[in-house]
Amino acid sequence: MPRCHAGAMAERRGATVELREVTKRYGDTVAVDHLSLTAPAGRITVLIGPSGCGKTTSLRMVNRLIEPTSGEILIDGHNVLQEDPTQLRRRIGYVIQQVGLFPHRTIGQNVATVPQLLGWPDARIRARVDELLSLIGFDPARMRDRYPAQLSGGERQRVGVARAMAAEPPLMLMDEPFGAVDPIVRERLQNEFLQLQRTQGITVVFVTHDIDEAIKLGDRVAIMRTGKLVQFAPPAELLAHPADDFVARFVGSDRGLKRLSLLTVGGAELDPPIDPSRLDGAPVLSPAMSLRDALAEMLVSETQTGMVRDGDRYLGVLTLSHIGRLLRSEQPK
Amino acid sequence: MTPGEPLIRWDWLLSHAGEIGQRVGEHLELTLIAVAVGFLIAFLLSLAALRVPRLYGPISWTTGILYTIPSLALFALLIPYTGLSLLTAEIGLVSYTLLILIRNIVAGVRGVPAEVREAARGMGYTDRQILWRIELPLALAVIFAGIRIATITTIGLVTVTALIGQGGMGYFILLGIQLFFSTALIVGALGSVILAVLADGSLVLVQRALTPWTHTP
Repeated sequence: MPRCHAGAMAERRGATVELREVTKRYGDTVAVDHLSLTAPAGRITVLIGPSGCGKTTSLRMVNRLIEPTSGEILIDGHNVLQEDPTQLRRRIGYVIQQVGLFPHRTIGQNVATVPQLLGWPDARIRARVDELLSLIGFDPARMRDRYPAQLSGGERQRVGVARAMAAEPPLMLMDEPFGAVDPIVRERLQNEFLQLQRTQGITVVFVTHDIDEAIKLGDRVAIMRTGKLVQFAPPAELLAHPADDFVARFVGSDRGLKRLSLLTVGGAELDPPIDPSRLDGAPVLSPAMSLRDALAEMLVSETQTGMVRDGDRYLGVLTLSHIGRLLRSEQPK
Repeated sequence: MTPGEPLIRWDWLLSHAGEIGQRVGEHLELTLIAVAVGFLIAFLLSLAALRVPRLYGPISWTTGILYTIPSLALFALLIPYTGLSLLTAEIGLVSYTLLILIRNIVAGVRGVPAEVREAARGMGYTDRQILWRIELPLALAVIFAGIRIATITTIGLVTVTALIGQGGMGYFILLGIQLFFSTALIVGALGSVILAVLADGSLVLVQRALTPWTHTP
């Protein structure tokens, strides 16, 4: 298939997931308590909260690895509880922290798992495997016949994502998929995954306990506590208007700084351009740069200001008070 | 041993080459039947124990007791019922393989990492597909370790079955003892050892061919 159709395909690829009053009880313990939320099509919805908040249980109820005690889970309006669990799981991508690649199968065979279960013709499977391996930055000819033990942790994690996407699922469930790799690799994997998710248009429900990851990846973030949904909002809103003290503490006392990472230099008010010679040593900032990175550079410069340039155009001067004013203007009363 | 007689009489060896070959054949046949039938029974019992974990205790307890009965005593106990027959020999030989094989099959399957099983289930494998396509292939290395031990043990035990007239290399050992004839004794004992070493070596090769993922650079 030609790549140029990716945009059009993205529109119809993602599924909408809706949880309605979903409850899971283990004896007297309530793991998930009347949870209702909608994960919009083609977007990343992050479930986050402290250990035992019910985020993983909620995720695993969507593909029925755990059966809800009560409530309904709808994928594009169809109740998953009325479907055969194995058939359902073959249509949903699933990635876990430990990856769980099959050690006795080659990388190619691992990626081919679900298409094979679905009975795709061999030629189509082969083409899809090579396409996916290229998509995650592998040379198919070189990597296809290797075994998982021959790969690094980061490479294994990429293969896990490719395997989950193999049968073009409209929905992927990911349980702390980048939790077990070192921070540098994690950041790379997150960026690659964002790119991949945007081009493929898959709906993703993503569990993490890392608030920075939630803010970076989530289109919407659901904060959970003891089985209940506390707040469900886009990351910027979560940071600007935490629903209560629990959320405020959870997103961290540095939430102002975190918000800066979601804002760009281009969105801030600027002082008019002044003579560059008076800004000796000031960093040069581009409008696309995050305010957090801009602030970091400004703080170490003598002038405490930044010169904003868009290519050759000199747009103005960013000062610390502009950044502060921007944060305050979105602050709750 | 008659004084003045050499330890090995090569002329006897040569003149009995045909019979030695026949006894080797018998020995291998007795071993193959025992390990094959033993594996079949052990496999079924292991599947039962894996599905119903409560069964594993009684199964391993029973096969453990079977394993501790001395082979001569077992044959003596069976002769009133099954006579001096192949069946008597194989009942004994098979029962000695069970403990080792069941332990290794169960341990091999249980040793499959939880995340591999979880991923398989999450991608839509049925329980049966998980067993046959994931768990058993991954358990192969451990299962083969059991088959190797069972085979070597059985090859040693088969020498005893000559006592109930089933031939094999034990025939030469008995002959050597009865006639004070060292050549036959050595052929029987050494022959059995060589068979065990060769069988073990071939099983290693088969295992390596079946589990390419365990020895990639």
